[in-house]
Order: sequence, then C-alpha cells, then structure tokens
Amino acid sequence: MLRFIVRRLLITIPTILVVISITWVLIKLAPGNFYSGEKPLPPAIEKNIREKYGLDKPWYQQYGKTMWGIIRLDFGTSLKYQGQSVNTIIKRSLPVSAAVGILAYLLALVVGVTAGSIAALKQNTKWDYGSMALAMLGISIPNFVLGPILVLIFSLTLYWLPPSRWEGFPSWNLVLPVLTLSAIYMAYIARLTRAGMLEVLRSDYIRTARAKGLSERDVVIRHALRGGLMPVISYTGPALAFLLTGTVVVERIFALPGLGNYFIQASLNRDEPLIIGIVAFIAIVLLLMNLLVDIAYAYLDPRVRY
Amino acid sequence: MSSGKFRQILGLVLLASLACANYSCTVAASNEEFFGSTTPPPRNIFRYVSGDEPESLDPAISNGQPEARLYMALFEGLVEYNPKTLEPEPALAERWHINNDSSEYTFHLRTTGRWSNGDPIDANDFVYTFRRNLSKATASRNAYLMAYIKYAQAYNQQQVFVRDPKTGEFLLARDLDAGFPPEPLSSSPIDPAKSEYQPDPKDTTPDQDSAFHQQMHTATRLTLPGDEKSRNKRLDANAKLKAAVAGKEFVPVKAEDIGVEAPDNYTVRISLVQPAPFFLGLLAHQVFRVVPRKTVEQFGTKWALAEHIVSCGPFKVKMWKPYDQLVLERDPMYWDAEHVGLDELYFYPVLDNSTVMNMYKVGELDAMYNHAVPNAWLHIMRSKKDYMERAEAAIDFLIINTTKPPLDNPKVRRAFNASIDKVAYAEWRRIVKPLTAFTPEGIFAGYEQPKGAAFNPAEARKLLGEAGYPVIQNSDGSFSCPTFPVDQVEFIYNSQQANKAVVEWMQAQWKQNLGITVGLRNMEWKTFLEAKEKLDFKGFARGSWGADYMDPFTFLSLFYTGGESGTGWQDPKYITMLDEANRTLDPKQRYHLLAKAEEYLIENQPIIPLDSPSVNWMKKPYVKGMYPNPGSLYPWKYLYIERDRAKWDYGTPSLDAE
Repeated sequence: MLRFIVRRLLITIPTILVVISITWVLIKLAPGNFYSGEKPLPPAIEKNIREKYGLDKPWYQQYGKTMWGIIRLDFGTSLKYQGQSVNTIIKRSLPVSAAVGILAYLLALVVGVTAGSIAALKQNTKWDYGSMALAMLGISIPNFVLGPILVLIFSLTLYWLPPSRWEGFPSWNLVLPVLTLSAIYMAYIARLTRAGMLEVLRSDYIRTARAKGLSERDVVIRHALRGGLMPVISYTGPALAFLLTGTVVVERIFALPGLGNYFIQASLNRDEPLIIGIVAFIAIVLLLMNLLVDIAYAYLDPRVRY
Repeated sequence: MSSGKFRQILGLVLLASLACANYSCTVAASNEEFFGSTTPPPRNIFRYVSGDEPESLDPAISNGQPEARLYMALFEGLVEYNPKTLEPEPALAERWHINNDSSEYTFHLRTTGRWSNGDPIDANDFVYTFRRNLSKATASRNAYLMAYIKYAQAYNQQQVFVRDPKTGEFLLARDLDAGFPPEPLSSSPIDPAKSEYQPDPKDTTPDQDSAFHQQMHTATRLTLPGDEKSRNKRLDANAKLKAAVAGKEFVPVKAEDIGVEAPDNYTVRISLVQPAPFFLGLLAHQVFRVVPRKTVEQFGTKWALAEHIVSCGPFKVKMWKPYDQLVLERDPMYWDAEHVGLDELYFYPVLDNSTVMNMYKVGELDAMYNHAVPNAWLHIMRSKKDYMERAEAAIDFLIINTTKPPLDNPKVRRAFNASIDKVAYAEWRRIVKPLTAFTPEGIFAGYEQPKGAAFNPAEARKLLGEAGYPVIQNSDGSFSCPTFPVDQVEFIYNSQQANKAVVEWMQAQWKQNLGITVGLRNMEWKTFLEAKEKLDFKGFARGSWGADYMDPFTFLSLFYTGGESGTGWQDPKYITMLDEANRTLDPKQRYHLLAKAEEYLIENQPIIPLDSPSVNWMKKPYVKGMYPNPGSLYPWKYLYIERDRAKWDYGTPSLDAE
C-alpha cells in the first residue's frame, strides 16, 4: 500500500510539470498581452512595460524562471494585479470556492444517494421513474439557467435571500449558489447510485446475505450500499477537485470571489503567472483527489488490493 | 424524504419557468416610479459596482475607467473634475496662472493638504510623482498623456541629449530638426520688460523665479534615441544630423531634466514643450494624481496594497478583499473633510450585468456603473425615475486598415461610409445618436463639429465605380459588384453578443446598397486587440474611444501618431493642422482650426464614424450629488444620502450649474 502511494506521488511530479509546460506554451502562443487595451500603446511605452516584467527576455529564460518558481512552489506575482502574489490570491480565493463546493457536494451526496437508493430498491415503480426523471432534469438544466431562476424566485420576487455576493461563512448568501451548483451533481450521483445498487442487489453475496436471514435494513445499508457506492466514489475524486477549485459559471452569476472567477479572468487578461499558478494548483488537487479515491477503494471494496 | 423533496424541487422549477415567462410583462405593467427598493442605507454609506476588479490602487498603473473612479476617491491632483461638466476645478492647487500661450502653468498649492497618515503634501510630492510616473521603472501605460511636458517623453523613452564636450553646449532641436515648430514662450528667453502672464488682479504676489526656470526658458534641446542601434538608424537617415553629432557626447535625459519644478514648497511650475490649452483639463487625469514618495520607495510595487497604502483623497482604504469588495472610509486628514458627504464607499467588482441589476433592485446597490443596463431592459428602465441617460463623451466607429487594397483607396472607403444608414442604425440601437464626424456631438460647447458625408447609396455606388469597381443593378432591383475583391476585405470584431448584431447590421447595409458581402470574423478580446494593433487584418474592425479630458483633441489625437489608431493612416498635413490649432491662443479660433482638422480627417476616411453613445445607468433617488456627466466620473466627496423624500431626485438631475 505504502509503496503504491509513494509511486503514485512520484508520478504526480512529472505529470504536473508537463501540464504546466503545455499551459506555458499555450499562453505564449495566445495573441495579446496583459497590458493591451482599447487604445494601442505607443511602442516606447510598450517597450518599458515589457522590460519591466522581463517579457523581452529570450523564451528559455522566461520558461526557466517560471519552472524554477513552480519547483519552489512560488508562483510569482500577478502581472495584471500589481504587487499581488499568486500564492496569496490562491490562498484568499480557495476557501470561498471550497466552502461553496464542499457544501454543494455534501448536499448532492445526501440527496443523490438517498434518491438513487430508493429508485434502485423500488425499481420500475413511480418512485424510480419520478426520481430518475428529476435527475434527468438536473443534468439537462445548465446552472446558468438554474441560477438566475432561483435568484428570480427567492431574491427578486420573494425577497427572501440575497441575490449574490460573498458575505463569509456561514451566511444566507451561500444558499442559492450551493443549490445551483449541487443540482447537476445531485442528479449524477442519484443515477450512479441507482445503477450501482441495481447491479449489487442482483449479485450473489446479497443473495447470500438474504439467505442468512439478515434484515432488509442490514442487507441494504451494510452490504448493498457499500458496493453500490463504488461508482459514486470514483466520481467523487474529480468532481470534488473541480468543485474545490471553483466553478466559473456559478461564481460569475453570484459574484463570488472564488478561484474559478480568477481563473477565467486571468486567462482573459493573459495574466501568465496567475494562469500557471492556478493550473498547477488544480492539477495538484486533481491528482491528489484521484489518489485518495484509489486509497478509499482499497478500504471499501475487499476485491481491490494494491 | 427524497421523492417529496424532489417533487418540491420540480414544483419550484415549474413555478420558476412560469415566473420567467411572465416576468417581463409584470415589470412592464407595474407602475412603480423606481426600479425596486428605495430604502436608503441605515448609515451614510454608498454601495456601487465599479465594473471589473481594479488592477491596482496605484494611480500610475491602470488606464481603465473602473480604476479611474477609484483613484478619484483615493487620490487628488492639482485639479479635480467638476461633478457636472468635468471641467477642472481647484483641488490640491487652490489657484493657478497660465502663461500667454498656454505653455507654462504655475500652481499654488493649499497649505492644508495632508496625506492620510497626517504628513503634509507639498510641491515636492508633485515633482516626485511626475518624475516617477514617467520613469522606465514605473512603466506607466498613461505616460503618453504627460508627453506635453518638456523632455518628459525623452526621459520616458530613455533618450539622450547631445553635448559638445569642449563648450558644454547642447545641440538644439530647432537647428537640426526640419519640421520643428516655433518655440513656445516656455522655451523662449524671459523678457523682463513684459510679463509672460496676464496680470491677475486677485493675486499680486509674483511667482518666484529660479535657475531651473531660466534653464527651461532656453531653446529646446535635441534628443536622440538612447540605444545605439535606433540612434544610428536615425543618424544614417539624416546626413546633416550625423555631421552635427560627430565628435559630440551623449548625455542621458534624467528625471531632473523634466519640466516640472517646485520653486518653493507650495508652488509647482510645469513647462510644456508646446502650447497646450487643454493641459489644465488633462491634469485631473489619474496619472497626474499625487502619490506618497516615502511609501512608494519603502514598499515598491506593493505600496498600493491595502496594508501599506497612503492616500490623499477624500476617502482612504478601510478594507480591500480583491474580487469581493473595496471599502473606503472618510479620511479625516483630507483638507476638505468637512464637506465630504459620505462615511463609507463600497465598491463591488461585479462583471455580470444582470447580477448588477438584481443587486440594484433588491437594494444592495445605490448606483451602478455606466452601461450596466442591458439593452433589452431599456424600454422598462426608461420609464423609471432613477434611470440616467445623457450624452456621453465617447464615440463608436469602424477602423479601416488603410494599408491594404482595395481600402487603401479613399474613394472605396468613402463608398463604404456613404452606404451605411446611420440614422436607421441609431434608431435600431436605441441608446446611441448617429455620428458622421470623429468627435461626439453636443459635448464640447462652442465647437462647430464638421458634418461628414450623409447616407447616400447612389453616391456610394458612383464612388465605387470611379475606384474601378462598378456596381451593377440586377433585374430584381438588387445590386452586385462582381469586380470587387471580396476576399480581400473582412470585418473583425470581438466576440460579444451585442457586437455580433452590430456587425451583421453593417454587413446587411453593404450587401443591400453596394451588393458586396463582407465576411465577418469574431475574435476573443485580446486576440482582436492584437490584430488591430499590428494591422493584422484586412478591411474593417470595431473601434470606440472615450475622452481622456474634455477637449476635442482627446479624440483627434488618436491619429496624431500613426500606430495608435489601428488604421495605418498618418498624414503630415493633419498633424500640422493640429499643431497649428494648439498653438492658437484664442480658444474660439483654436476650436475652429481643430474642426478644420477633423473635417480633413473625415474626408480621408480612415475610419467610418457610427454613433455617439449615451451614458445609461441607474442611481437610487436618495443618492444626491452624483450626476450623469459625459465621462461617468464622479468626484465622490459631493455625494450624500438624502433621507427627506421631498428632496430626492425624481428623474435625471440637471447638469446645469446651480
């Protein structure tokens, strides 16, 4: 087990370096600069700016500088937001994205697993059709539609909840973004749980459990759910990684100062250090989450051994 | 629980879609005077969406509008914008003198100016600020606005003077530069017999003289590029220059050479390289706002972060959470603190216009930035008494790449211009006025704006025929132009829903009136900017420009140097015309000459003028002292919250002086 973890961690490092190198090349290939605006700058002023930020150096020096920073986990200073270090920006915006993301995922997990299990247990009844229809709806309605609809009902018509902005944790401002964000995950988890449960419920060891005379409750919760949740677990890794690192649309609609918002703005602004920093961070989180999922597998599924 | 919950959600979703369908009708039908909540905030605070997240609180850095508004709260310059007209008003300078040809400005500072840490503000702070903002290390994007100051541009570009090592004398620009205009008064020897300034009966204390002042009053020195390569290129192109420079030494232009000095602690004197009557108005721009030397030198690029910043405006930073909120509070050190109406200012960076409207409706905002009202909502908002709409000091136009055929031919350009029905266009856009010239209409009082060619499709077809591309009328009445190289022309624009509709509208006009179908290509914003900047497009590009200061020259100067307009069009005659206008002392005559230059510009048609937009935004009726001025810049100290409903603004407040 330990060997497996160490090996996976070692593979992580070159993976991240490759991801960053590709990102770096893509940024260099993209036209435009962080300083360009509606009125083109006189060449002399542009030259001053390029020299100030080292953009006049040969490419290998710029690449080397970026890589050397990444190795020391220092992502440098934002070009667009003068004086703000990328590390500070990530540290500041991560909690916002994480709060919304984790809450949304927990909500999705509770509702999704319950709905999915009931659908599986009462297969081909109105419960099953009902919850699967809703899940289909959840997958089909994009969050940029759901978000404004929720705002329209709860903020603009009923005046119950604030329409946007971040007011810390916990606060009423979280309700709408969390609901909006969790809808699609809820739906996915419900469908995954149902499929997983259906497969498990038909398997031999469940039949054995029933034959031994275990109560239905024990059969479902202790045996079936444990096996039936495997697809949900493998889905959790990447899903949580993306939720943690921010979701662009929801953060934009609700004006949340999260990582996703920064990421999209950084790309539009051609803010090289910020883009690289966030990409590196997301890559690290994603790889770690996948590792955690694999470890969780080993514990949950007796058939999996490393 | 699960199915019940799901059923509830289903119910909500259905309810929501119904509400959605009915929403526009219900809003339209309601007779509410104002849009949403009109409950004033419990304290004297003002909550505003400024647009994008500010790049930096350092006024030398950003050239954007959201930042310009923040800088007005935090920093002050010699002058400040009038809240209604945007004309310059006394700020840290309480009075000033301008010499007879507007080439030298002397400012007398108020002695009560204080930094937010309590230190006094004096003339040396201004000298420092000007030098810093021009330095290569600061690399300010706004430095070009300071180029009117003597040797400022040379210092910004790290140029050199040329000195004779034997005599110590410098080569002069007028001797070696063929096109050098006559020296302004600021560079001519001081004549003790007559004053350079008009006598001021209110102010009898004479301005102090100084050695630096004497030095400024000598003929402008020649400056050459600092790096050897470009210098040699320039010398090789000019044999006379090369001969004159031989055996001379090159002296780098230093910060101390720039035409800004502090003859005493409360006087700032600025010497310009040319007469510039608009310069006073320009001084309210952010790049001229004073910054604290001690703090800047101590913290470098981090000085403007919330933990270090020292400011001098009516407000100071209380809290800054980037991408969330910037909270400013009244600065008790501000010289005019007793007249500041608000205790706190909240700036929220919100990018989504419908989010802004939502926040405004529920009363989480007291006003919003210009153009935040979506076009589709106009018909509803125009009936509300908290909606602001007024002329804006801005223009929209089409940029033409004049370096590539067939649009290198002015006749072709004129044909494309005359085949767009701008009146119909403005009616369709609803929020703009048609424009045939290159300055916005009705903004500069007393400026006789020239009229460009009107919509005339027959004339357009004739012009195109004269250019060698005859337009044929088909049997069904439509037109076609078979010889026109359609593949050599396209129309680029940045991807945005509103833009797409606009370019498609133009495309339809050309198709209908000339029989030419111009291809459309959308681009991501920065990609679009780069294509425009490098003239890496064929045909047309969308362009717009807002005033940096309240003078027609802020628009006309877009073609003063070639690269900046994105058209490749540069005409020495046009530049001479502008120079001549700016040398003219009588303001009326100057406007007349500027209008002549503008006429020449639109005759050459490197651009196709489209419209002048209107400012359109909303503020709650209890917000007073905020006006829909043409630049959407608000001196924050005049704002206050009015709790007496009788004194509220019902409708757009007047911009006339009281």
